[in-house]
Amino acid sequence: MNTLTKSDAQTLSTEQARPVLDVIDVTIRYGEKPAINKVSLSIPQHRITAIIGPSGCGKSTLLRAFNRMNDFIPNVGMEGQILYMGSDIYARQVDPVEVRRRIGMVFQKPNPFPKSIFQNVAWGPSINGFSGNLEARVEQSIRRAALWEEVSDRLHESALALSGGQQQRLCIARALAMEPDVILMDEPCSALDPVSTARIEDLMFELKERYTIVIVTHNMQQAARVSNLTAFLENGSLVEFGETDQVFTRPQHKRTEDYVTGRFG
Amino acid sequence: MRSDRLRRRHATTKCFRLLCAAVAWAGIVILAVLLFHVSREGIRWLDLQFLTEFPSRFPEQAGIKSALWGTVWLIILTAGISIPVGVAAAIYLEEFSPKNRLSQLIEVNIGNLAGVPSIVYGILGLVLFVRFLALGRSVLAGSLTMTLLILPVIIIAAREALRAVPDSIRQAAFALGATRWQAVRAQVLPVALPGILTGVILAMSRAIGETAPLVMIGALTYVAFVPEGPMDAFTALPIQIFNWASRPQENFHQLAAAGIIVLLVTLLLMNATAVWIRQRAERTGR
Repeated sequence: MNTLTKSDAQTLSTEQARPVLDVIDVTIRYGEKPAINKVSLSIPQHRITAIIGPSGCGKSTLLRAFNRMNDFIPNVGMEGQILYMGSDIYARQVDPVEVRRRIGMVFQKPNPFPKSIFQNVAWGPSINGFSGNLEARVEQSIRRAALWEEVSDRLHESALALSGGQQQRLCIARALAMEPDVILMDEPCSALDPVSTARIEDLMFELKERYTIVIVTHNMQQAARVSNLTAFLENGSLVEFGETDQVFTRPQHKRTEDYVTGRFG
Repeated sequence: MRSDRLRRRHATTKCFRLLCAAVAWAGIVILAVLLFHVSREGIRWLDLQFLTEFPSRFPEQAGIKSALWGTVWLIILTAGISIPVGVAAAIYLEEFSPKNRLSQLIEVNIGNLAGVPSIVYGILGLVLFVRFLALGRSVLAGSLTMTLLILPVIIIAAREALRAVPDSIRQAAFALGATRWQAVRAQVLPVALPGILTGVILAMSRAIGETAPLVMIGALTYVAFVPEGPMDAFTALPIQIFNWASRPQENFHQLAAAGIIVLLVTLLLMNATAVWIRQRAERTGR
């Protein structure tokens, strides 16, 4: 993995890139009703994978299955397997807390803790037994989230004083501070203005060199702009999954074509 | 036509605002009248001697030292027991317990307990603490009885405060690999703290003013000593006030009024402290 250079990673096709997450025949139910129906796909390393689809198609449910955030919703049942680096994250002996340390998440609405900027970023490492230089880790994470210039002189002020876009980048910095392998983003720009959205999209391009990113978005232009791979979900089923260029320009399925050309959804 | 209707709508708003203001002021006016009436009667007896003397059958020598100290003991012990137990119960019910039939049953029952008349708690305290656990008519038995009385209030208020914490904060904490306890301890509790403290203030104010359960468990009405430990007998301010007010002599009625002033000031000091703590918590929480 470490021997791959940036250009190597870009020339690798989907099949050759090592899968970080393997979704095998996954069905997720809320009570009786399936929200995700027999979905299989694999998410390659150091790529941005977008999950698109109309509202209620189950894209967030699928994303939240990757770091076991669905565990908190009562009456959720799951069948099938999700492998992270080859091992089943739903296996009996796996601690979900351990999974979430490796697979970070950024939410739809920016949700910084009502504390200082510094504390927001430092909390994750400090509760997970980080013993190195906390200040350096915080600075590095905020720099990687392209927020350092804007906040370096007010690290100890409240995170709630930041703008929405800055708050979302702070949430990204907070996730980066855990040094995760994968970052899940659940419609990270839907509450942001176009300028902030563009900044976060730029940021995603930089981040994919180090991290694997999975983004759920209802915004097809965004999926087309930022992602390497696109999965199209409808009614809980995976309709199409492939290179973003191909999904948007030469979709294999009629439904995909109708959706990406804006005929419905 | 249209502007006419608009004018009527504005008039309705104005009426409603006046009505609300009147209701809000009614509370303040009633309290002011009460305070005025009580101070006029009692202020003359209110001096250092009143605070440092034990009760006496001569009004000129009577003081409320034992009742004041009894109340202080009662409040400290009750707070020491009820706050940790009540907040812990609320945290368990809100953050840890599975939401099922049993937890619903518990929730309904806590709600019912909050409405049980205080005299019933007095009977329970008498049977359970004074007799069965053989604590006697001690400050400890009184505090445990008061704890039973205010626990439901604390639990309900603390649960409401925890429920008001946005779920996005918990999600953010869990997504960073926090355990439930880490998320609750570091992120949820600080946000809920001001609300929890408000509930605690209300509950403690209720405890300081309650008389019936203490009479029931047999707190003494004439005490010429200050409790030195949790197992000592005691009296409390409301009991002393009740005792004085029920005597025929006018002077004792005025002593009762003075006692009421002391009780109100104690209550005010307590609440002020809690509000101060709450504001500090709010500031550091931001």
